[in-house]
Amino acid sequence: MSTTAPEAVAGGRTGLAGALVVPATIFVAIGLIGPVAILFRYSLNQFIPGQFMVDGLTIENYVKFFTDTYYLNVLMRTVRVAVVCTIACLIMGFPLAYVLARTESRFKNLLIMAVVLPLFVGNAVRAAGWMTAFGNRGALNASLMGLGLINQPIEIMFTETAVIIGIVAVNLPFMVLTLQSVIEGINRNVEEAAFSLGAGPVTMFRRVLWPLALPGILAGTILTFILAMNAYATPVLLGGPKFQTMGPLVYGQFAQQNNWPFGGAISFILMTATLLLTVAAHLIVQRRYR
Amino acid sequence: MPGAAVAAGRWPGWIRRLSTAQRPSFGRIALNGAAGLSLGFILLPLVFVIWLAFFRQEIPSFPPEGYSLKWFAAVPGQKAFVDGFILSLQVGVLATLIGLALGVPASLALVRHRIPLGPLVNTLLLLPLVMPGIVLGTALYVFQIETEIATGWPVLGSAGGLIAAHTLVVVPWVVRLVTASLAGFDRTIEEAAQNLGAGPWKTFWRVTLPSIRPGIVAAGLFGFVTSFGNLEMSLFLVGPGRTTLPIAILQYLEWKIDPTVAAASVIQIVLIGTAMIITDRYVKLSRVV
Repeated sequence: MSTTAPEAVAGGRTGLAGALVVPATIFVAIGLIGPVAILFRYSLNQFIPGQFMVDGLTIENYVKFFTDTYYLNVLMRTVRVAVVCTIACLIMGFPLAYVLARTESRFKNLLIMAVVLPLFVGNAVRAAGWMTAFGNRGALNASLMGLGLINQPIEIMFTETAVIIGIVAVNLPFMVLTLQSVIEGINRNVEEAAFSLGAGPVTMFRRVLWPLALPGILAGTILTFILAMNAYATPVLLGGPKFQTMGPLVYGQFAQQNNWPFGGAISFILMTATLLLTVAAHLIVQRRYR
Repeated sequence: MPGAAVAAGRWPGWIRRLSTAQRPSFGRIALNGAAGLSLGFILLPLVFVIWLAFFRQEIPSFPPEGYSLKWFAAVPGQKAFVDGFILSLQVGVLATLIGLALGVPASLALVRHRIPLGPLVNTLLLLPLVMPGIVLGTALYVFQIETEIATGWPVLGSAGGLIAAHTLVVVPWVVRLVTASLAGFDRTIEEAAQNLGAGPWKTFWRVTLPSIRPGIVAAGLFGFVTSFGNLEMSLFLVGPGRTTLPIAILQYLEWKIDPTVAAASVIQIVLIGTAMIITDRYVKLSRVV
C-alpha cells in the first residue's frame, strides 16, 4: 500500500496522526512482541520433573529436540504434509480462481459465498464432515462397497492421507481467494493478445498468466503453507492420537506435560521453520522468474 | 512467440477462425470441470455434516436407516455448546468493536499522514495475521501468566484476557481492509467539501466515513468471523468451564461424532450463511475478499 499522501486534509498535523496510530501500535507491540520475547526466555529455562520450571540459561531444550529422532520425525512429517497440501491447493485452486475471476455469471456472488462460507464455519466442523465420510461404515466405504469395488473397508481414517485431504479442504479457499483477486487485476486483453498471436491455452498460461499472477501465487502459497504447518484441529481429529504433527505436539507439552520450557522451544522451532521455508520459497521463486 | 505468430498468419483465414472458435470451447469445458471439482471438494465436508444432522440413528453409518429432526431439539440441552456459543458471541463482538476502534484511526493515519517509520508500523499491525495460531497461543499463555504474577490480577482464563487476545487478531484485518478502501479513495472530493466550507470534522463525518463504510463493514465482518472461529490460539487461553464454541465442538469430536454435534454445526452454518447474505447486501463480498 502507499503511505505517500501528497497533502493531508489535516495538513500534516503529526500530533493528530500520532494520536491516531499510537494506540493500535502500542497494543500490538505489547500483545505480540512482549509475549514472543517471554516465550523465548522460557524456552531457555530448565524443566525438572516435580519441580516444574527452574530459571536457567540453557539450550538443552533445543538440543533435546534436534537429537531425538522422535521429534525430528514429527517435524519432517509436518513439513512433508504442509508441502504436499500446499502443492495440491495450488493445482486445485488455480482453475477455480480463474473461473471465479473471469466469469460474468450473475451467480458469481453466490459462487464466492460458497468458497467463503466453509472458511467461516471452522476447522473442527469440516473435520467432522470428513470423519463422517472416512469411517469404516462411513459414506466413502459404504459407497465403494455398495458398488462392489472393495470387499473390506479401506483404512483411511487416522492416516496421513486423511489429514492431507482435510488440510487441503481447509486451506483451498484461502488459495482460491488470493489467486482470484490477483487474476481479476490482470487485463483480459493480454490473454486475448496471446491467443491472437497464435499461442495455445497452455502457452498462454505458461508465458502470460503464470508470470503475471506470480505475486498472488506466492502470497497464496505462503499463506496456505503457514496454515498447513500450524494445523491443529485437522491432524487431531483426522490423524488421531498417534499421528503427531507440530501443532498438537506443542499443545501436549503445555497442557498435558506442563513442560513449558520444552513446549516454548518447540513453538519457537515451529515458528522458525515456517519462516525459513517461507523465505526460501520466496527466494527460489524470485531467482527463477526475474 | 514470433515464430508462432508468423505461422498462424500464413494459415487461411477460415482455419484460424475455426481454431480460435474451438479452442476456448474445448478448454472451457475442462477448465469449468476442474473448477467445479475444486468447489465440490471445498463444500463436501459441509454436505456430510448437514446430511448427518438429519440421520435417525445415532451412529454415523451409511446408508442412514432413516431421517429425523430430533437431534436439533437435543442441541439446546448441550450446555457446552450453548455456553460456548454465548461466550464466542460476546468475545467476538467486543473484540471486533475494540479492534475497529484501534484499527480504523490507525489506518487513516497510515494512509493520510507521513508517519515516522510508517511502513514498519504497517508491517507490525499486520503481523498477527501471519503469526501461527499455535505460537501466538503459547506466547500469550506465558505472557498472561507473567502478567498475573506481576499484577496479581487473574488474567489467564478470564474473559478479559480472551478478548484482548482476540482483539490482537482482529486489528490486522481492520488495518488491511480499511487501508485498502482508503487507497482507492478520491481525495478531490474532500477538497471540494472543504472548499464548500466544511471543517475537517464535518468533512470526515459527511464525506470520508461514508465512502470507506464498505471497508469498515468488511473489516467488522472479517474481524468477527476470525474471532468467532479462532481455535488454535484460544485453546491455550480458555479457563476451566469457560470454552468457546469451536473448542467445545473440537472436544466433543475428540470423544465421538454423532448427529447432535452435526446439528449444532448446521445451526452455526445457517447463522453464518444468513449473516453473510445480509452483509452482502451492503457490501459485495466479491469486492472485499
